[in-house]
Amino acid sequence: MMQFYFSNIVLIQATMTGLLLALSIQVPIRMGVFSFAGAGAYGIGCYAGAIFVLDHQLGAIPTIVITCLMTGVIVLALGVLIQKLTGLYLAMATVAFCLIISVIAINGGTTTGGSTGRYGVISDFTMGGMFAITAVALVLVALSERGRLGRRVDAVREDPELAASMGVNVRRYRLVAFAVSGVLGGLAGSMNILVRSAVSPLDIGFHLIVLALTMIIVGGSLSWKGAVLGALIFTWLPDLLKVVGQWQELIYGVIVALAAVLLPRGLYGIYVDTKRSVQRRRREAAGPPAGGSDDETHAERLEPEMEGQR
Amino acid sequence: MSATHTEPGGSLPTGVDPVLEVDDVKVHFGGVKAVDGISMKLMPGMIHGIIGPNGSGKSTLIGAMTRLTRLTSGRLLFDGEEYQNASAAVVARKRVARTFQTVRLLPDLTVLENIQLGADARADDKSGNVLTRLLGKQISPAVRDAVSRTNLEGFEDFYPSELSYGTQRRVEIARAIATGPRLLLLDEPTAGMNQKERAEISALLQSLRTDGLCQLLVEHDVQMMIDTCDHVYAMNFGRLIAEGTPTDVVRSPQVQEAYLGRKWRDHA
Repeated sequence: MMQFYFSNIVLIQATMTGLLLALSIQVPIRMGVFSFAGAGAYGIGCYAGAIFVLDHQLGAIPTIVITCLMTGVIVLALGVLIQKLTGLYLAMATVAFCLIISVIAINGGTTTGGSTGRYGVISDFTMGGMFAITAVALVLVALSERGRLGRRVDAVREDPELAASMGVNVRRYRLVAFAVSGVLGGLAGSMNILVRSAVSPLDIGFHLIVLALTMIIVGGSLSWKGAVLGALIFTWLPDLLKVVGQWQELIYGVIVALAAVLLPRGLYGIYVDTKRSVQRRRREAAGPPAGGSDDETHAERLEPEMEGQR
Repeated sequence: MSATHTEPGGSLPTGVDPVLEVDDVKVHFGGVKAVDGISMKLMPGMIHGIIGPNGSGKSTLIGAMTRLTRLTSGRLLFDGEEYQNASAAVVARKRVARTFQTVRLLPDLTVLENIQLGADARADDKSGNVLTRLLGKQISPAVRDAVSRTNLEGFEDFYPSELSYGTQRRVEIARAIATGPRLLLLDEPTAGMNQKERAEISALLQSLRTDGLCQLLVEHDVQMMIDTCDHVYAMNFGRLIAEGTPTDVVRSPQVQEAYLGRKWRDHA
């Protein structure tokens, strides 16, 4: 067990940062906000972490806290600016935000290290701290899917008008989605730089959006459990596919394409659908509900009315 | 075209403050005058109805009352307080609940969870402890009451896609009741229901009236309106063409001309 842990420690770290990156995209999508700003926040988090440790000699925890607050505020400000946009237009605006972060990283002079980036980031961050922070973030996201908050988030995504008529301030929820996305992206980025010790513009490009989106589409976009599945699969799969050599990219692509076509609700969706199917069969076996039979079709229900009109 | 008051002051009681007052409200979409200068008062403990042909502006008016539709001009008052500039969420927190013309349930929530969404809107809902609330296990007494009133026992764990259209309608009504409303706006609540279910909904609305709830009902089932409502408004082309007791309104020549036809002329 310990041998497995130490020989795969880099993949374990990448799983946790990948999971938080995926959540930074998934949380806004759960609220119906098609934003990729979390990937931009990841980039800011990487560089801010490096700058705080190298230039200001901050410890790991202050670095993470300040970075998360900073990325949360930046992405919230972005959200305020583009809150009128929806759908693809919103997505494109947030992609542009991510690209701007890359451009700033390349042209940031000695602060960002230019095309070389920043390296030699050595801090007091431990794996225990990484596990604990990831677990806390995961629990908070999981709780946001349950109870009153979870129902209201579902309503904001599925039917904003209905949500508003249930007393939900839809605009506020969407802005909170931006802020949370920024915090999660910043958390992932800052933890990544603290364990990897180097960052360059190549590490924070468009591919982060593709990676995070792949994780949540294949894993399941509407639950943290889907993000966990996606992060596990797409962090470990490239390593497992090394045995097929040059075919690695092709097989990776085929798996993603098949998942997108065959699993519209992701792998977690299979579990949800199966569970509902079992529950339905149990109910059918138990007989019709006390509230009356529900087996009439819409047309059958309208038949007496139609008869009256004829 | 001016509204025909079949009785002076209609069938509304005098000396009682209205729950909601609509004052010369207009909703125009470019050149289309969906609602064009409507005024009405919704009184406590009464069931009000709106009838009119498709496209006469009934649903748009409900949208305006709940602030989901932007007003072109006019005033809205709830308990005498203007709210035409408030957001839909603020209006909902005044305990104005509504159902929609088409069923709007959340597909990934069970019947019970969909109804609990209504109870979630109540500021006074403190049911369950912190843990059960965090984990989403608590079910408010208002939800149990709404399930019972709408005869949904046994359907609690169903998902909307597993229900017939009429039962989905009942879930929507239950969700609106679970908000603990002071004003209930129902947009064609019995569409897709059979006669027995319509009678049940009519009885439900009348029991809610007994509890003092103010209701506004938009329906095409004229017989149900006659059996259920205390005061009816008739709309055509965004304007009121008649108001009064249900029987007087259906006898109105203007209403028969615009909507009902001759069949209701001699209705007792």
